[in-house]
Formats: sequence, structure tokens, C-alpha cells
Amino acid sequence: MPTWSDLQPFIVSGLALGGVYALSGVGLVVLYRATGVVYLAFGAVGAFGALIGWSLIHDAGAPGWLAWLVCIATATVLTLAYGMIFGPALAKRDPLVKAVATLGLTLILFGAMDLLWTTGGGQSRSIALPTDNGGFTVGQVQVNWTQVIGLGAGVVIATGTAVFLRYTKLGTAMRAMANDREITAMLGVPVRRVEAAAWLGCGVLAGIAGLLLADLVALDATTLTFLVISSLAAALIARLRSIALTFAAAIVVGLVHDLLTPVQALTNYRDMTPFVLAAVALLVISRHRVMGVD
Amino acid sequence: MKMNTHAARMRRTIPLVAAALLLAACSSSSNSTSSGGTPSAGSGSSGASGSSGSTGAPSGSTSAVSTSQCGTKPGVQASGTPIALGGIVTNQPGTSFTDIANMAQAYFNCVNANGGINGHPVKYYIETEQTNPAQIAADARQLVQSDHVVGIVGNTSILECTIDHSYWEKLGIAIITSGIAPECYSTPDAAAVNMGPRYSSDGAVQYALSQHVGKVVFDQSNVPGTGYIGAGPAALANAAHTPIVQLTENVPISNADSVAIKEVQDAGPDGAVVLNFTPPEALIILQAAQKLGLEDRVKLWGCSTPCNTDFLAQALGPKWNSKLFVNAELTPPDSTSTSAMNLYKAILAQYGKSVSGGVGSFSQMGFTEAEIAVHALESVTGAYTTATVNAAFKAVKEFNTGMLCQLWTYGSYPLHIPNNEDYTVTPDNGKMTQAQGCTPISSVDPQIAAYRAAAGTAPTAPTAP
Repeated sequence: MPTWSDLQPFIVSGLALGGVYALSGVGLVVLYRATGVVYLAFGAVGAFGALIGWSLIHDAGAPGWLAWLVCIATATVLTLAYGMIFGPALAKRDPLVKAVATLGLTLILFGAMDLLWTTGGGQSRSIALPTDNGGFTVGQVQVNWTQVIGLGAGVVIATGTAVFLRYTKLGTAMRAMANDREITAMLGVPVRRVEAAAWLGCGVLAGIAGLLLADLVALDATTLTFLVISSLAAALIARLRSIALTFAAAIVVGLVHDLLTPVQALTNYRDMTPFVLAAVALLVISRHRVMGVD
Repeated sequence: MKMNTHAARMRRTIPLVAAALLLAACSSSSNSTSSGGTPSAGSGSSGASGSSGSTGAPSGSTSAVSTSQCGTKPGVQASGTPIALGGIVTNQPGTSFTDIANMAQAYFNCVNANGGINGHPVKYYIETEQTNPAQIAADARQLVQSDHVVGIVGNTSILECTIDHSYWEKLGIAIITSGIAPECYSTPDAAAVNMGPRYSSDGAVQYALSQHVGKVVFDQSNVPGTGYIGAGPAALANAAHTPIVQLTENVPISNADSVAIKEVQDAGPDGAVVLNFTPPEALIILQAAQKLGLEDRVKLWGCSTPCNTDFLAQALGPKWNSKLFVNAELTPPDSTSTSAMNLYKAILAQYGKSVSGGVGSFSQMGFTEAEIAVHALESVTGAYTTATVNAAFKAVKEFNTGMLCQLWTYGSYPLHIPNNEDYTVTPDNGKMTQAQGCTPISSVDPQIAAYRAAAGTAPTAPTAP
């Protein structure tokens, strides 16, 4: 069994990853609450933005800051465009149809990335943020600024979003739409505009998450596209409703995943962490429902 | 009312999300790169057609003088009866070996444009597969029964040797391949130009042991065959009385920071971490180590051949100069200027438009396999049949490819590991440069010992640097 000092670096890496999962999970929950769409393309649009950013740096010699902005802008435009084009058409359809439609976007983007940024012939890519090179030491553990940003972004986005939903007019409209889109529309809320704002916010978060994950994890289409799994699990644990619970669940997913790494017997099963935690949460939720507690 | 509406939507959505999680997990798993199963370098896709046949008119410029060396009649297009050859390569999202077959095609195109083989052009069929056993078996039969190929050259597939070796043996077809699966090395009718993941890992661990490390951590992707691959490094470390820790990682790696931390913790300051992953996976582990300041926390880092790419050297930067040591199965192209290397580069430039990775291990392998095949076919007198062609392949003995440490021999042996001497390279400001010249893989690996007992030790190539 690993000692406490062995585990400390894994706590740091798990918190950083959990922070980015939280950021992503919050984006998913907000979009779901406003539009009823489970956005399965969240990882793919982030990956697409990150790869365009990499191309700008690598092929066009663009400065890093411009590439980061373009990464976020690309994810935002893709998400907003999807929401504006397909959102209204699918608004009255079942959640299953809405989600499968986003899976279609995922597959299109995944195929495009595979075509445009092939990894044949040993090609490998990376985005390094300047914050990788600085940091501090806690005990024996080296912490870099990107890890701090990963966790900090999760905290800030989760807190900011919770405040936004509670205290702003737009946030209130989003919460109203989460309960009933038709009644909200009848009350005079500009539903399309509120939905557009939700798609826009989700796209921005997808871009930020794509950029951070490209640095913290890997700039690889497959990896980034499917990292949304962990964020979805966190959102699911929070029943696609609570921002605070999504944040907490994402941090737990990241922490448990990384803390299992040095445990020899469990290390190869640690990628199951999101599924196991989500399954346990579902069981607990359904048990409470059976017992009349909701 | 509000709660009921939300609860109803939740009841519909939660099972959907759960299903999506499972679906995504399956997709993630099936698309993951398989470094344990990588012949040399890379993963990805490069858009080859499912099946193609061509007698190969030149696609590039005709001004490259040196490509005329590939044939016996420079500038004369071969017009005889085509010799049909075939190859099967994996091509799926995340894993593509099409560069190898495409480079073999480029070589054949060059030969066809310069007199062919005794006047005959080569018609080369490439089948691509997606690691589906039934499809791979069907591809083999398609090549033989529909395309009427008389020889198999340029195969590079995660499963092909495992699935098809019995079929080839039954037909008397001796394949020239880039090996991945154990059967590419342990069966009588398959001979590879590369070492494959096991012997390349042997080479990387052997180099680490030669630097007197106190412990070896050998980490590889968690794909079928890890036990077979890990047996070689384990034998070498045990013979050197050096402890070895074997790790496996699920790919794609979801948090490289934790992987790098674990490796360094297990190795200790006097130890070595040796990786066997595809370039993207190896890169993210090494970059994670760099970000966390771990590169100097072990005595050295090692890697099997997939890490031998300039892409990786450029992405890592100077911190890894003389810190990371990579096994190289083929002659380093940047620092070599032999006639074979110059011909390879010229053919690649003139005929290799479909070789997406350019200069590198994959295209070197394709060149070498085609070169050996052409050398063998030139010795055939009379008709080019399955029997004569494969007899010629098996008769190749001590051929100087210009790409390997050793002279290459096929021969009639129960197993074939004809490439069993390696180089070691290290990053040097964005390029991989040679750190150690040709060094035989130790016979402590029982498979190497068995091969040398059967075939002897091939002489070192006169062109080896």
C-alpha cells in the first residue's frame, strides 16, 4: 500500500483534473437546465478548438494567446451554431433525440479531426501553456500553475454559475425554462435568446476545458472527445440539476481516479471511477425514490 | 407541478445519460491506440483506400535522378505481365499503418518506371482492416482468390499474423512483414524487417541496464500481448540481478500526471523508467513528467522504437537531451547518407505522396520490405508463381538492406527474428541522434536465443553506422 507521502502528488493531480471536469460538468448542467439537451459533443468541440489552436501555433506561427482565444472561439461558434440551427427544430423532441443529435455532431467532428490531424507516421502534438513552467512546492509535492488554474477554474466557474443562475434575470429565465419551456415562453421570456445564451456559455466552457485538458491530459482527438465521460458522470451524480453537487462530484471523480493510481490491485480499473460513482449515485437516488424521498 | 415536470424529465434523461456513458466508454476503448501493438511508430489514420491495385505510373516529378537506381533499366516503363503482390494493413481511427504499405507501393512504382523486374511490373494490392478477425481472414482470401497475388509484402496489422499465419503456411506463402503480433516472429512463414514491441523493449531495457541502473520500471499500454512483450525485459533484468516492476496503462491515458508520478515513485532516483507506448501516449507521459519536474528524479528514461520520431523530439525540447534513450530498429535517417538511404529519400520525395508521415520508421520499413521483395524477385527465372516467388523470398540470405544493423536473412527456420541488433538514439534539440551504435539484443531473451540457435547470428551490415 502506498504511504501518505506517496499519495500526496496524486491528490494534487486529481484536484487539477477534477477542477476541469467540474468546469465541463457545470457547462453541461447549465445547458441541460436551459434547453433539455445533454450535450455529448462537449469534448469533441473542445478538441476541435484545441487542434485548430495547435495548427495556428505550429503551422502559422501565431502567438500562444491568439491560439488560445481561437480555441475558445472555435468551440463557442460550433456550439452556438449547432444550438441555433438544430436547437429550435429539436426543442419539442424527446431528450433521447436531442442527445443522439449531439452524438451525430460528435462523430462528424471526430471524423474531421481524424482526417485533418492524422497521427499516422508517428505524429504527435501538444499544447504547452506558459503556466506549466512555474509553480511551487508543497512539502515534497511539485505543483505547477496549470494545475492551480485547473482547480481554480472549476471553483470560479461553479461559483459564478450558481450566482448567475440565482441572482440574474437571465439565470432566472434559464431556471424557469428548465421546469417548463412552454409556460416560460407564455410568460414572455424570450426563449430563443435564453437558449442562445446557454449554448454560448456552454461553448465557451467547452473551449476552456479543451484548452486546459489539451495541456493537462493530451492533445489527441480521441482522448479529448471521450474525456467528457467523467464530466457527464459528475453531472449525472448531481441529477443534471445541482451546480454545487456537480462540482463536488467532479472533484471526487478526479481525486478517486488519481488516488487509485499507485494502488497496484486497482490501478488498471481506475478508469471505471466515473461509471462506478455514477452507478452508485443512481442506485442511491432510485432507492430514495422508492422510499418516497425525492 | 414544477417538481413533477423536472422529475419526469430526469426519469427520461438519466438512463439516457447512463447509456451514453457506456457508449462513449466502448468507443473510447475501441478507438484507443495500442502501443504494445505498434510495429515502430505512430497511430492515427491516413486515409488509404480499402483495396487498391496499381501497376504504378510515377506520380511525382521525373527529375529526381537518384530514383533510377531502383530498377535495372532507368526510364523504361515495365510492360510485361504484372507480378501481383499484396499487403494487409490496419487502418482505423487512432491506429494506422498505411504509411508502410504506401511506401512499399512507392518503391514498386519506382521499379515499374525503371524497367520493372525482368521487364515485369509489380501490381500491388493493399487491403485495409479494422482489427476485425473475420475481416482480416477475408482480406487474405480476397488477395489470394480474387486478386491472385503470388506473394505478401508490407503487412502491418495488429492481428494479421495471429489470424492468417496458418492460412499462409497452408498455401506455402512466406510473408515479408512489419511485425506486431507474436506470430510474426514465432512461425515458419513470417519474417519481419522490424523487431516488434518485444525485442524493441528488450533493446531499451538492455540500454538502461548497461548504464547500471538500480531498478527498472517497464510500463506499457494495457492491450492484448503485454505478457508476451514483458517477458523479454523481465528476462534481461533478472539476468542482470536488477529488480524490474512491470506496469500497464489503459489507453488513451486519462491523466498522464498520475502515470508519470507512479513510474518515478516506483523507479527511485537510481532507477530507469522504460516506456512502450505509441508516440502520442509516450509524449504525454514524458511531458507530464517534465511539467512536474520529474525528468531528473530517475537516472534515465527509456523507450521502445515508437518514440523514435522527430515529432516527439521537437515536442519534448532540450530538457530530454541525453536523458531519454530510445531504441531504434532501423538506421537513423537524419545522420545517414548511404546509397540505400539516399534512394529511400529520393523515392519518398518522388513517389511517396501518400506517405503521410514522410521520413520515419514506418516509411523505412515499407521501403525495406519492398527492397527485399524486389531483390528476391529478380532472382526468379521462369514464371512468377506462388511457388517460385515464395521460394525466392525464403532464399534471401544475408541481404544488405542499408536500413538495418544486420544483413537480412529469411531462411527455413521455425521462427524468424532476422532483425535483432539495434541502435539507441536520444533527443538533441528537436532531432533524434545516435547515442549507441549497433548492439545485439541479448540472448538472455529466450526467443532471441532460440532464433540464434536455429539461424545463427547474421553479420553486421557493412553500411551500418
